Amino acid sequence: MSLLKNYPTHIPIKGIDRLIMGAACFFGATLHPENNNYITGIGEITAFEPVLTRIRDSMLSNKVGRQILRERPRITSKTLDLDYLKSLPPDTFGNTYYKWLQREKVSPDTRVPVHYIDDEELAYVFQRYRECHDFHHAISGLPIVLEGEIAVKAFEFANFGLPFAGAGAVISPFKLTQKQRTRLFDVYYPWCFSNGLNCKGLINIYWEQQMEKKIDELRRELGIESPPPDMRTLRKMDGAKKIT
Amino acid sequence: MLRFSIQRSTRYFSTSIPRQQQHLTDVAIIGAGPAGLSLAAALKANPTTKSLSVGLIEGSSLDPVKNFSQSPPENFTNRVSSITAQSVDYLEHIGAWKFIDQARIEPFDNIVAYDGLSNSRIEFDNMEMGTMCENINLQSCLLQRIEELNDPTLKIWDSTKVTNIANDTDDAANGWPVIQLSNGDSVKTRLLVGADGFNSPVRKFAAIESRGWAYDRFGVVASLKLKYEDYRSIAWQRFLPTGPVALLPLPEKNATMVWSTTPELSKLLVGLPEDVFIALANCAFVLPQVDLNYYYTLAQNEEYDELLSDIKWRFENYTSKPTIDIEDFPIALESVIPQSRARFPLKLSHADSYVSNRVALVGDAAHTTHPLAGQGLNMGQGDVKSLVESLELAMKRGLDIGNLLALEPYWAQRWPENHVLLGVVDKLHKLYSIDWSPVVAVRSWGLDVVNSLPMLKDFMMKQVSGK
Repeated sequence: MSLLKNYPTHIPIKGIDRLIMGAACFFGATLHPENNNYITGIGEITAFEPVLTRIRDSMLSNKVGRQILRERPRITSKTLDLDYLKSLPPDTFGNTYYKWLQREKVSPDTRVPVHYIDDEELAYVFQRYRECHDFHHAISGLPIVLEGEIAVKAFEFANFGLPFAGAGAVISPFKLTQKQRTRLFDVYYPWCFSNGLNCKGLINIYWEQQMEKKIDELRRELGIESPPPDMRTLRKMDGAKKIT
Repeated sequence: MLRFSIQRSTRYFSTSIPRQQQHLTDVAIIGAGPAGLSLAAALKANPTTKSLSVGLIEGSSLDPVKNFSQSPPENFTNRVSSITAQSVDYLEHIGAWKFIDQARIEPFDNIVAYDGLSNSRIEFDNMEMGTMCENINLQSCLLQRIEELNDPTLKIWDSTKVTNIANDTDDAANGWPVIQLSNGDSVKTRLLVGADGFNSPVRKFAAIESRGWAYDRFGVVASLKLKYEDYRSIAWQRFLPTGPVALLPLPEKNATMVWSTTPELSKLLVGLPEDVFIALANCAFVLPQVDLNYYYTLAQNEEYDELLSDIKWRFENYTSKPTIDIEDFPIALESVIPQSRARFPLKLSHADSYVSNRVALVGDAAHTTHPLAGQGLNMGQGDVKSLVESLELAMKRGLDIGNLLALEPYWAQRWPENHVLLGVVDKLHKLYSIDWSPVVAVRSWGLDVVNSLPMLKDFMMKQVSGK
C-alpha cells in the first residue's frame, strides 16, 4: 500500500516504523502515564488488523452494527445535546451519562482521532470504540480513576477482544496498592468479565439512540447485571477508615 | 422435415392397427440429449458404422429442438454448457458443428477463478478455452446433421416413453434386449445404449451399480443480462464456502450463471423477486462472505427494501476501497430473464461399469459431476467418441457389436479418465467448502503460487481442454 492518506487524519506508517513507534509508546506510557498520546498510540498500534476485522465483521452481521457503519455517527458535544440529556428524567440512560460526565468532570470531546490504522473503515471502527468508551463507563458506573479505568478495560477486553484492553487489564493492576488490587480482583473483575463476555456486542449498540431509555431496561436488553458497588464510595469508605 | 411427417403418418397408421409392431435395430439409443443425439449422428457419419440400423427413443417431444433452427427463442435458455475445444473438434469431425447457430454461442479465452474468502485468484488466458452454448442449440445442430445424412436406417421415436426393458425370451441364447414403448411398439436391439441421464433405466436394467454421493448442494441456473457487453470474454468463478458461483459469457449483453449453494438457499434464490435476485447475484461475485450471510438472512425474512438499500450502500462502500479494483470482477448484472431460474441437485456418481452384455452407458447415465469445472457434457462427448471408435473396431474385426469383447475397450478407455476428473472436481469442491482460516490461507497461497507458474497453468489447461 502506498503512503497516501486513506482518510483525513490518517498517518501512514509501515513495518519497522510501526515497531519503533510501538516500543516508544510503551516506554512513554510507563514513564508518563498522564500523557494521553502514548496510551492512544499503543491502542492503535496493537489494534491488529485481524482483531479489528473481526469486530468489523461482527458489526456487518448485525442490523444496528451495519447502520452504524453506514451512518458513521461521531460522538462530540456537538452531536450530543448535553442540555437535552440534563433535562431527561434521572433514571434514563441519557441523564445517567450526563451525571457521570459531570461527576468525572470530562466532556465527550476528549477523544482523539485515529491516526495509525490504515484501512479507512477499520479506523472508523476503532474510532467508534474509542468514542463509546465513556458510555461503557456510564453503563457500568465506573469512575475514571486508574482503578476504574482498569476495570472498564477488563470489561471491554471481555466484550471486544482488543489486545490493548487485555494488556491493560493484566499489567496495570501492578501499579495499584495491595488494597486496591484486592478490591479490583474480588469485586470488579468478576463483574467485568462475566458481564463483558455474556452481554451483547457493545460495538453494535447505537448509544445515541438509547438516551431516552431507562437505564435498567437498557441493561436488561444488553444482558448486563446491575452495576458493581460504586467505586468512589468504596474508596471514600476506605479513606475514612484510614483516618479514624 | 418431410421425412418426419412421413414418419408421423406411418406411426399414426401403426397405432390404428391393434397389432403391435416389433422393430429390429442394431443400436437402440435411449435419450436424445446431447450425448444420445451425438452418438446417433456419429454412428451415421462414420463410414464403417453407418451401416448399423439405429433407433433413437426420447420420452419428451423433440419439437422445440426441431423448431430451434427456424425460430430460435428470443432470450437465451437456461440450460447452457461449456463445450471444450476437444468436444468442438469432435462435433466438427462428425459434421455437426457447421449447423450450430453461431449467433448464440460465445467462445471464451479467459478463466478467472477466485477465492470468496481471500480474493486470491488464478487466471487462465488461452486461445480456444471453450465455447458457451445452449444445450438446445447443440441438440439442434446434431439433429440437423442427422437430417442432412437422411439415412433411412435411423429411426427417431420422440414423445415415446420406455415402459419396460427385458431380455428376449424367444431367443434366450442371444438375449437381445427388447424395449417396450409407450406407443405399444417394441424395439429389439443388438446393442442397447443408455444415454438416459442420471436415473438411467438402462443402467437399472443392466444391473450396473452406480456409486457416489449427493453434495447436499443445488445448482441454481439463470439467464441474465449484463449492464453492458463484456468484451473481455471471461468465464468467472468465485468459490464461496456454500459452493462456487459462476458467470459465463453469452453473446452481447447476455450471460448465464450457475450458483451452487445449499438446498435452502437455492430454493430462496429461485423464488426471490427478480430485482432482489439480481442485487444478490451481483453481491455474490464481489462482497465478502459476512455481507452475503447477512443478506441471506434478510432475504429469508423477506425484508427486501432493507436488503436493496443496504446492498446499494455496501457495494459502493466496498468497491471504493483502495485495495479493491472493480476491473477484477465481472460486469454488473442488470436483469434476469423471467422464468429462467431453475435449480437441480448436485451429486457425484460413477457407474461401476459402462458396459454389460448388449448394453453400454454414455453421458450422465454413467457419471454425474459437480458443475464447477464445466465438464459434464464434455465427458459425455468423450464417451460417444470412444464408444463409436470401439464399435468401428469391432465391426472391422467382424465382432458382434453387442458382445462384451466389442464394448470393453470403450469402458477401459473412458472409466479411468472420467474417474480422475470426477475425483479432481470432488476434491476442489471439498477444499473450497472449508472456511477455517488456516486452510483458507494455505489454499490461497497455493493458488497464488500456481498462478505465477505459467508452465504449470498450461499443463492444467491442456488437461481440461484436452488440447
